Amino acid sequence: MTDGYTPPRPWLASYGATIPHDLPASRYKSLADLVDQACQGHAKRRAFTCVVPNGMNGTLTYAQIGAMSDAFAAYLRHECGLQPGDRVAVQLPNGLPYPVVAFGVFKAGCVLVNTNPMYTPSEMIHQFNDSGAKVLVIVDMFADKLAEVVPQTGLQAVVLAGVPEFFPKLPETIVRGVQIVWSRTLPPVPKLAVPVTRLRAALARGRPHAANVRSFWQATGPEDLALLQYTGGTTGVAKGAMLSHGNMLANLAQVQAVSGGLMATDDCVLTALPLYHIFAFTANLLTFFEIGARNILIPSPRPVQNLQRAIENYPITWITGVNTLFNGLMNEEWFAAYPPKKLRAAIAGGTALHEAVATRWRAMTGTPSAEGYGLTETAPLVSFNPLDDRARPGSIGIPVPGCDVVLVDDDGKPVPAGTPGELIVRGPQVMSGYWQRPEETAKTLQKGWLFTGDVAVMDEDGFLRIVDRKKDLVLVSGFNVYPNEVEDALAKMEAVLEAAVVPIPDAKTGEAVRAYIVKNPDYEGDLTTEDILRHCKGLLTDYKLPKSIIMRDELPKSPIGKILRKDLKAEVRAEFGL
Amino acid sequence: MLTELETKLLGVMMMVIMLGMGSSMTYRDFLIAFRRPKGILVGLLSQYMVMPFLGYALALIMGLPPAMAAGLILIACMPGGTTSNVFTYFSKGVLALSIMMTTVSTLVAVVTVPLLLSFYGGLAGLSGDYVIPAGNVAQVLVVLLVPTVIGMGLRKLNANIGATIELVGSMLGVAVILFLIGSWVPRNYQMLLDTGFPVYVATIGIGLTGMLLGYWLARGLGQDSNRARTISLETGIQNGPLAVLIITLTFSGTMQQEVLFIPILYSLFIVITSSLITIWYRRNATAEALARDAAKVRR
Repeated sequence: MTDGYTPPRPWLASYGATIPHDLPASRYKSLADLVDQACQGHAKRRAFTCVVPNGMNGTLTYAQIGAMSDAFAAYLRHECGLQPGDRVAVQLPNGLPYPVVAFGVFKAGCVLVNTNPMYTPSEMIHQFNDSGAKVLVIVDMFADKLAEVVPQTGLQAVVLAGVPEFFPKLPETIVRGVQIVWSRTLPPVPKLAVPVTRLRAALARGRPHAANVRSFWQATGPEDLALLQYTGGTTGVAKGAMLSHGNMLANLAQVQAVSGGLMATDDCVLTALPLYHIFAFTANLLTFFEIGARNILIPSPRPVQNLQRAIENYPITWITGVNTLFNGLMNEEWFAAYPPKKLRAAIAGGTALHEAVATRWRAMTGTPSAEGYGLTETAPLVSFNPLDDRARPGSIGIPVPGCDVVLVDDDGKPVPAGTPGELIVRGPQVMSGYWQRPEETAKTLQKGWLFTGDVAVMDEDGFLRIVDRKKDLVLVSGFNVYPNEVEDALAKMEAVLEAAVVPIPDAKTGEAVRAYIVKNPDYEGDLTTEDILRHCKGLLTDYKLPKSIIMRDELPKSPIGKILRKDLKAEVRAEFGL
Repeated sequence: MLTELETKLLGVMMMVIMLGMGSSMTYRDFLIAFRRPKGILVGLLSQYMVMPFLGYALALIMGLPPAMAAGLILIACMPGGTTSNVFTYFSKGVLALSIMMTTVSTLVAVVTVPLLLSFYGGLAGLSGDYVIPAGNVAQVLVVLLVPTVIGMGLRKLNANIGATIELVGSMLGVAVILFLIGSWVPRNYQMLLDTGFPVYVATIGIGLTGMLLGYWLARGLGQDSNRARTISLETGIQNGPLAVLIITLTFSGTMQQEVLFIPILYSLFIVITSSLITIWYRRNATAEALARDAAKVRR
């Protein structure tokens, strides 16, 4: 791929009149600027409502979010002594503290390091040291991990926030009481060498200095770093994708361009996916906040019944989710009988949306589901399937405005339409690299092009279809086997709940296919290796057949429900001593 | 024998409990429940066919004296208690079904309880002194429907208030039983010691057997395991405080004390047995909910 190359954009014809060919420039200088303008423009509107499973809830308006995030920014700068560009790790489930803290970090001119609350102490230590985080905001439910984590990191202060934080007093007390007495999820805070402050107290200490918050972020521009968004990738330890304010604002503009004015101020979006994940961060937090809409935050969406009161009590117009969430909802009687009346559409991402799920969703709710494709490294949206009859089932749609997508072969040369190639992307939403990892960055980012590692096929009109992860290919006697194809064949068995395919070493063929199978608990009767092979023989040529089949009770999954082949590969490496 | 004040206090607490019951449900919950009315019908069947017969049979087999037999049969004929909702909640059962069963069984109690009482009372050969007038039962039940409706309105008005009252009502359900035990046991200490083994078997057995038969009746009639667990708890857990309230409004003196004996003892033991059963049910329900989340689309 050469510098001067201008690749064709065959998808522009499908944009029609509703989607601009070129991305309009952002109205904002930084995310802090965006938050500040939204809070002023929609001051009296409700911004966030957090709903726990029994229906208890708390709400913050745009004005409150503005004032509280100002106070938190002032706390970080005045009380913690942070400077612009310093990293603040945030380890919170969905709830009212999340936007207050995340927006406060941006207003302080600092960098947000989103961290999964379920992380183990060793994962936390790695991420805090790698990012050089100075302050940690953590949910009080996991405060017990601090005893091990804090001494091994450079953290200088810890802030604790609760799930029912900022609820009205009585519900807050009751939810906290239930956490202490019944679910026992509120451990005592260990003695630490660094100061530990509750979020409310931190805000109180920041508030006297909040008048000059604007000066903290006046100098912040599109080039400045906004997020270190950690991603495992397929190998090695987690690394931080450096996403600038400009990256985030560009992707926000791209989301808004393709949604073609479908989102409105009176919208109410159900946020059951975790905000620390880039999908919900951009799709829910930024997109809907910017237009003055309301986010319904769900701290714990599993089991899916936890969503019942939220869906009943609020006029939900959008739901973002992954395949497993939509599937789970439709298996609930209360949802199937009374799907949300005001729903406009569902937005699916994270992992492929099964066609059967999409079809059933449309039949049950009467609304479409839009599927997008993206990566942490691209903030995240790269392509989308339009929300109207232009949509093509089984496709991840067409690239968003302002970015180039090309499919290339192993030599980096573009492949003809209809031929599988690695998807590479260039555009304003592409990260500037991995934090302090020049080698990893050089491998992934070449001359402005991000190599996604996903193998895709593009048709004449620019519609893309993902074939598989390049790194997951199984090379059997020189033939490429795409795990997705084998997994799809396996999933067609009534008796199979889930399947994952990874390579194992083989003396004769170099590599061979191994399938991990989870039996469908509702299937009555036995499931044997012979049954599986007999089924596969009807669907796959010989070299694609699983050579080894392993039955499991469950498969490793990411926080948003993706099956993690890399964990299974690690098992294989250990098993064969590789 | 309860004092005047205690009887009044019991009445007020029952009102609050029913307020809590009302605020635990929405109009939509009703609609969902009646989309599959079979669950409720199965529940009613086990509530009003299985339980009263069990009460009568146990009274007969254990050879209970008339006062105790009257108490046991009354408990057996009672509608579901609101405490069953809190146990269902904690056992992750089908809360809507539990609430509906409690509500519907309380509604039809106006008719069924007087009928069942006179039928099994007659069968057991209880004399006129131990007959509970139908009017009393109906009157108490009608009065209790008022706070239920108010509770539903509050829930609609504000989810935080609704959920709070729901929790308070459920907790009070347990508190009332503790109150009854606390005020009654010390005064009847000697009687507890003098009471024979058969009475204890009947008192503990009615709840446990009810849960067991309720579960298998529901399974036999095609209910899934989660609904069957809900029906099971609902069947075994009777509205003990309501029985006590009816007895205090009907009898007085020594007679009241004698008839009260089994309902209060039942209320004591049912809290213990249901707690144990709930822990067990909760484990099963959690495993099933997670499996359901992962379930793939049916083709």
